Amino acid sequence: MTEVFNFAYLFLNNAAFLLLSALGLVIILGMMDIINLAHGELIMMGAYVTTIAYQAGVPFVIAPVFAFAIVGIFGVIIERLFIRRFYGRELGALVLTWGISLVMSQGIRIIFGSSMKPIPTPLGSFSIGDYSYSYYRLLLIALGVLLLVCIWWIYNRTSFGLHARATMQNPDMARTLGINTRRIYMYTFGLGAALAGLTGALFAPTTHISPLMGQQFVVPAFIVVVIGGTAGVFSGVAGSSTLLSLIQTPVGVAYGAYLGLIVLLVAALVIIRVLPNGVSSFLQRWGDALSERRQGAVGK
Amino acid sequence: MRRLLQLLSGPQEIGHGAAFWLGLALTCALLFALPVIAGFGVIIDFSYLLHVIPLALGLSLLWGYGGVLSFGQVAFYGAAGYTYGVIGGNLVGIPGATLIASAGALLAVAILALIFGYFVFYGRVQMWIIPILTLVLTLVFETFMNQTAGLAWRVGDVMLGGYNGMTGIPSLQIGDLVFFGNAFYYLVLALVVVSYLLLRVLVNSHFGHVLVASREDDLRTEVLGYDIRRVRLIIFVVSAILAGLSGLLYVLWGNFITPSTMGIVAAVLPVVWVATGGRDSLLAVAIAAFGLSYLQSELASAGSQYALVIMGGLLIVAMTFFPKGIIVSLARGRLFGRRRQHATTTHTSPEVESREAP
Repeated sequence: MTEVFNFAYLFLNNAAFLLLSALGLVIILGMMDIINLAHGELIMMGAYVTTIAYQAGVPFVIAPVFAFAIVGIFGVIIERLFIRRFYGRELGALVLTWGISLVMSQGIRIIFGSSMKPIPTPLGSFSIGDYSYSYYRLLLIALGVLLLVCIWWIYNRTSFGLHARATMQNPDMARTLGINTRRIYMYTFGLGAALAGLTGALFAPTTHISPLMGQQFVVPAFIVVVIGGTAGVFSGVAGSSTLLSLIQTPVGVAYGAYLGLIVLLVAALVIIRVLPNGVSSFLQRWGDALSERRQGAVGK
Repeated sequence: MRRLLQLLSGPQEIGHGAAFWLGLALTCALLFALPVIAGFGVIIDFSYLLHVIPLALGLSLLWGYGGVLSFGQVAFYGAAGYTYGVIGGNLVGIPGATLIASAGALLAVAILALIFGYFVFYGRVQMWIIPILTLVLTLVFETFMNQTAGLAWRVGDVMLGGYNGMTGIPSLQIGDLVFFGNAFYYLVLALVVVSYLLLRVLVNSHFGHVLVASREDDLRTEVLGYDIRRVRLIIFVVSAILAGLSGLLYVLWGNFITPSTMGIVAAVLPVVWVATGGRDSLLAVAIAAFGLSYLQSELASAGSQYALVIMGGLLIVAMTFFPKGIIVSLARGRLFGRRRQHATTTHTSPEVESREAP
């Protein structure tokens, strides 16, 4: 029983990490077709904002709000200055954001040095059997799910979300109908950046804060997004982080975190060979088939 | 012969006419004469600056002509260096060992690229995913090599060396001739010139036109009967071999290699060279690679923290304001301005369509 709980904890923990890393990225990619390679550095920036706020005496519960807001505003500025010139040029945007990420990580290193004083992990821990668990990690799992639901709600139940989805499907038609697509793109990029900042803030107490910390997030995040595909943004990111965690967790437990990462890459290559359009299109086809069968049954 | 000359001077590359070729020949002659006028230190430095050009040309072929962006060129660079070190270190004393090791290194890189490329191109992965997968490949390689410290990680007589890298890699030797100093410089220079000219022929050949067509409109190219998966796999392997060649020259130059040659910093440099030079011009890319390597090594030896900020900034400026590349924009504006009308680089050309499929 304790073994089962232990595995479930590790599995959910990994899945939450993958989900939170990828959330901001997938919004920007799914809605705007912009591959944001500076995503890891936005996460890093969020962690720095949180740490600085915390050292200045802001309680940890409030510090992530700062990270969300400041990184979000930074994202809007970047979008206005550079990203807007790259709509429709995926590879161009990708290289551009890589340049931005380099400048950010080295800039942070020049300003703040190569590491920051860590934030202690809040909330303490409990133990079952021989294993010890952190309440904070459990909170992160819950927050990951909550955020996903919130974003889903924003994009599916608000007028902003409706306009954003219309812009995604057909920008010209959306413009014709009076939607300010430039503003939609700006807000979407800002929201994606803000979520990256929030992710950085949430993981700040659990990791070593350095200018290169973005790397540890950005590789898994991109694998999640690549495997998820863009057919359905939310089903993709949820499905692929679950699937990848299911693959990575046992390997990571048995052979260590490094091999877990290798398996992630190999799994990505193989899954992409089998499902070129990602988990989301598979889920979509599966869902379609299910509802068709149900309709068929009703028809009889 | 005439056909070859036509291919050399085809429309897919800047620089045509007698003046251009005379200039190029003169530059090469000067470079070949350099050991006569310059000292040992300069020759060592020039060997280093020139050795990156095949890597840059490979990325130019892949990204500029083929539209396939790879951040994994340095992975092939490092893989070739390490493979040479492992084979060469184990065959010490056997005649021709270093030649075998060189061939083995390039072969290993080609096989690696073939396997990786098969999954990517035959899986019909979307184009934006390829840079990400190749970046992950690079980072995985670097992380792997970083943790190979200690006696557990030895291949035969050779220690992989972990974070500190592999040392004591033998220099290239053919018979009694050890490639070192001037001899090595001539080797690098010859390889650079030959690979530039061969690539020029390649991009202006029928294959090169199909390649550019697949960049411009992959669906149309496929409908015309070309297998773009194969075309892309071939240039991926070719560019990996070119990157491997640079990596090989690097270990032959310095007799050591560290995992940081495959790090994120190393991975970004080829992209900066190619974007700054102008990705669909081989010559511009070669010039940019040479010049920016010089800048990078000057900044590094001055201990400046701003090297990466400058490289990143250059990337942002080049992508935002000079999408065709800074050097190409300069060249179009002044040097080759008058000759350029008949030969645009986005030349998807009716010629391709009028020819029969192979």
